[in-house]
Amino acid sequence: MNLLRIYVKSILRGRKVLIYTFLLCFGLIIYVPFIVIMLRSVGKNWFGRLWLPPELTLDWYRWAVEVTKIFRITLNTLIIAVIAVAISTLIGIPTGWALGRRKIPGKELLMAMILLPRMIPPIAYALGIAQVFYRLHLVNTHFGVALAHVAICAPYAILVLSATIEGLDERVLEASAVCGANRFKTFFHVILPLILPGILTSIIFTFTASYNEFTLTLMTYGKDTVTLPVRTYLAIGEGYWEVTSAMSIILVIPSIFVLFMIQRQVTPEKLVGGFKGL
Amino acid sequence: MRRGSKLRSTGVTLSLLLPGLACFFGLFFYPMMVTVVRSLRPEGSDTGWTLVNYISFLSTAKARDVIVLTFTLSLSATLLSILFSVALALILRKKLGGHRFFRLTMIIPRVVPGLIGALGLLLFFGSRGWFNLLVMGVFPFVEKPIQINYTVPGLILFYTWLYFPFTALTTLSALESLDPGIEEAADVAGANKWHVLRYVILPLIMPGILAGSVLTFMAAFGAFSIPLIAGGNYRPLSVEIYKQIDLTPARWSAASARAMIMAMLQVIFLTIYMRILRRRSR
Amino acid sequence: MNDYMIELRDVTKRFGSIVANNRINLGIRRGELMTLLGPSGCGKTTSLRCITGHNIPDEGKVFIDGIDVTDIPTHKRELGMVFQNFALFPHMTVFENVEFPLMIRGINKREREELVEEALQLIRMKEYESHHPRQLSGGQQQRVGLARALVYRPKVLLLDEPLSNLDAKLREEMRFEIRDLIDRMGITAVYVTHDQAEALALSDRVAVMNRGKIEQIGTPTEIYDSPQSRFIADFIGLSDFLEGTVSSIRSDRGTAIVKVEGLEIQVVAGPNMEVGKRALLFIRPNNVELFNKTHKGGTNTFPGEVEKITYLGDRNDYRIKLGSNIRLRVQSDSKVRFRVGEEVKICILPDQCRVIV
Repeated sequence: MNLLRIYVKSILRGRKVLIYTFLLCFGLIIYVPFIVIMLRSVGKNWFGRLWLPPELTLDWYRWAVEVTKIFRITLNTLIIAVIAVAISTLIGIPTGWALGRRKIPGKELLMAMILLPRMIPPIAYALGIAQVFYRLHLVNTHFGVALAHVAICAPYAILVLSATIEGLDERVLEASAVCGANRFKTFFHVILPLILPGILTSIIFTFTASYNEFTLTLMTYGKDTVTLPVRTYLAIGEGYWEVTSAMSIILVIPSIFVLFMIQRQVTPEKLVGGFKGL
Repeated sequence: MRRGSKLRSTGVTLSLLLPGLACFFGLFFYPMMVTVVRSLRPEGSDTGWTLVNYISFLSTAKARDVIVLTFTLSLSATLLSILFSVALALILRKKLGGHRFFRLTMIIPRVVPGLIGALGLLLFFGSRGWFNLLVMGVFPFVEKPIQINYTVPGLILFYTWLYFPFTALTTLSALESLDPGIEEAADVAGANKWHVLRYVILPLIMPGILAGSVLTFMAAFGAFSIPLIAGGNYRPLSVEIYKQIDLTPARWSAASARAMIMAMLQVIFLTIYMRILRRRSR
Repeated sequence: MNDYMIELRDVTKRFGSIVANNRINLGIRRGELMTLLGPSGCGKTTSLRCITGHNIPDEGKVFIDGIDVTDIPTHKRELGMVFQNFALFPHMTVFENVEFPLMIRGINKREREELVEEALQLIRMKEYESHHPRQLSGGQQQRVGLARALVYRPKVLLLDEPLSNLDAKLREEMRFEIRDLIDRMGITAVYVTHDQAEALALSDRVAVMNRGKIEQIGTPTEIYDSPQSRFIADFIGLSDFLEGTVSSIRSDRGTAIVKVEGLEIQVVAGPNMEVGKRALLFIRPNNVELFNKTHKGGTNTFPGEVEKITYLGDRNDYRIKLGSNIRLRVQSDSKVRFRVGEEVKICILPDQCRVIV
């Protein structure tokens, strides 16, 4: 307790050195793993107690492309993500509208229901989804895997969109009606532009969720629908750390792109948004 | 007439909700039911009811070990995340130089696929990784590399790395929405920095910390990919479930029973947690 | 030493290129209520924060009770403060809020309870002691804020616009309540406000600030009756300004004559007046009397014409045209009303007519 007190006290007193040491360690522990992967993916003969690889090579990337058919796998991942995002958004807009703007008895219950999948370990319903999809022959199809992803992505979309739609100013809609716009025009010229940032946020998040999804993919994939995370997992199992690293670097690029977009377009706090009511 | 329009409005609401409800029932509720039913069927059979899948798992000593391990991992990671997040949030809210960069750093483990984070950590903490090179370089008395990968403390570290952003983000946003006047009031009233933290700041951001740590806990409890590749011989519930269907022939009923146990444990724990949270924030 | 409870000596505080406080010198006597008055951004809050220690002056020193506190942290300065947005601790009850400063000081439980009870009694909030701040009205919250600030008998009570978040009627009631409380405690108080009526009603002395500087320090009457700059005359109360030249000074009677657009106006002689020098005349609109045109003349009585009337309830506000080029704002009670275009006589009370150099 006393130690903790000294520790906190020193932080509060603004001892810059300590604070920056703390931040430096924090930055290192977050970024260094990626640097290590990066080095591993271009290093050759990196054995023993060496800080840096003795030789550089792009062989592992070639391997990744040739042996693991990474382009095909990336394409699979993207197709699945696009389908999952599309379905989730199409579910999210009307449901978000209903939850955000219409008076619904038992709205809290409904919201809790939609959040429920996030409270149950994914592996628990992934088991059920796998069994159902086997029966419906949805396993090993792009659509099937994407549909499994929707189970995770749709609650995200609904959350983000209902919050956005709830935030719409009633007066703006009334003003539009007063100006003589019919419902159709109001929707396309007033509502859509207003909720577009919300839709974008929702798309970014659902895309990231689907792109990174592992559990549900592992339960529903087949040899034609291997995605990047699953392939990385398999590669780790095969023990080719260098090739795995090369694949990881390829897998991480879109994430960095997404990070860049999030940072510019939406506040990072929204990543966990919508859980205040939990 | 009014009745009619009310009916119509209900109809519109329902049809708007339909996609969401379809998704919930089709992709969550129905599969859950399938899992429940499967867990009550004898292995490999589509008829008959039995509790043997639960009993045969729960009666083993291994079941206890697995459950204890799962809770140890997720609770330790949650606790560590809270301690770390509070310190980090207190620093970041001062908006020192470069705070934007560190804010971005904070969310990286959430945007990058978990598998890659785990891979990087495995490489970093490996016996020939940078971490051990550094430790052995700085402390000459450390002769053998420190084993972190595939140990329980190592797993806790990995979990914390991956799931602390939830807690850190809510803590930071709770801290930043505090009225600075309140701290000044405490300050003028004679409270030193430690008092201000202990009696004013911490109680006020507690709801934020708890809300975020619920997310960290849920993610850590349900973690699957990380223990799968970085757990070694330590298998929390999720991996235990997966191993059942990875066998040939797959033991779907056994897996389903374990999944139900896992889901129930999580729901029970969350209910308790939520109750504490509500009481605290009142 | 001296009898100042608080003293700012040459305090300068900059925020980037903005000089928020520019060589402030201010002494506040024991038991006195001093108001820092000025428009927003004039540096009054900065000065207050220099006293609390939330701002550390770039230059100069701050003394409390004769001790140099410039480098002493806030929590050791033994101050009490009331905030504009109340700043009550939302997670504590009224009782706990008032108890907080005592708890921090490690006073034992029994004594704490006694002091809190006493303080709550003083502000008539006894029955609300187990309420949380959000269950109280603004006025009640501010009273709790007062109790919290006073409960440990601080050396000084600081009030940062304590009434500006309350509605107008309540503000007036609270004004008296605060003054009453301060009188009973006999405590030194610094009151920051932008509301001149509040400042005039409450204070023993007022320091008017503008652009980071103190323009004038004085009792409310001094400030109101003889402002030393156009800014103060303009900022406090309503004023008419007339520009003219000094034509003669009669120092034996303490009067002078200023010529404005051909009118000879008798004014109170000021220290810096010289014959032939330009002078800025300032007149309060309620220090001008209106008569109908048959009124016989006297000192400072001139004919004029009503240009505009605004009805204000308890009085009327007139725009009067004097001669060809002078317009004067006059306020008089509404018993006698003049019409637009009517010819009137006005009398500028000579002993209320002053010159700002």
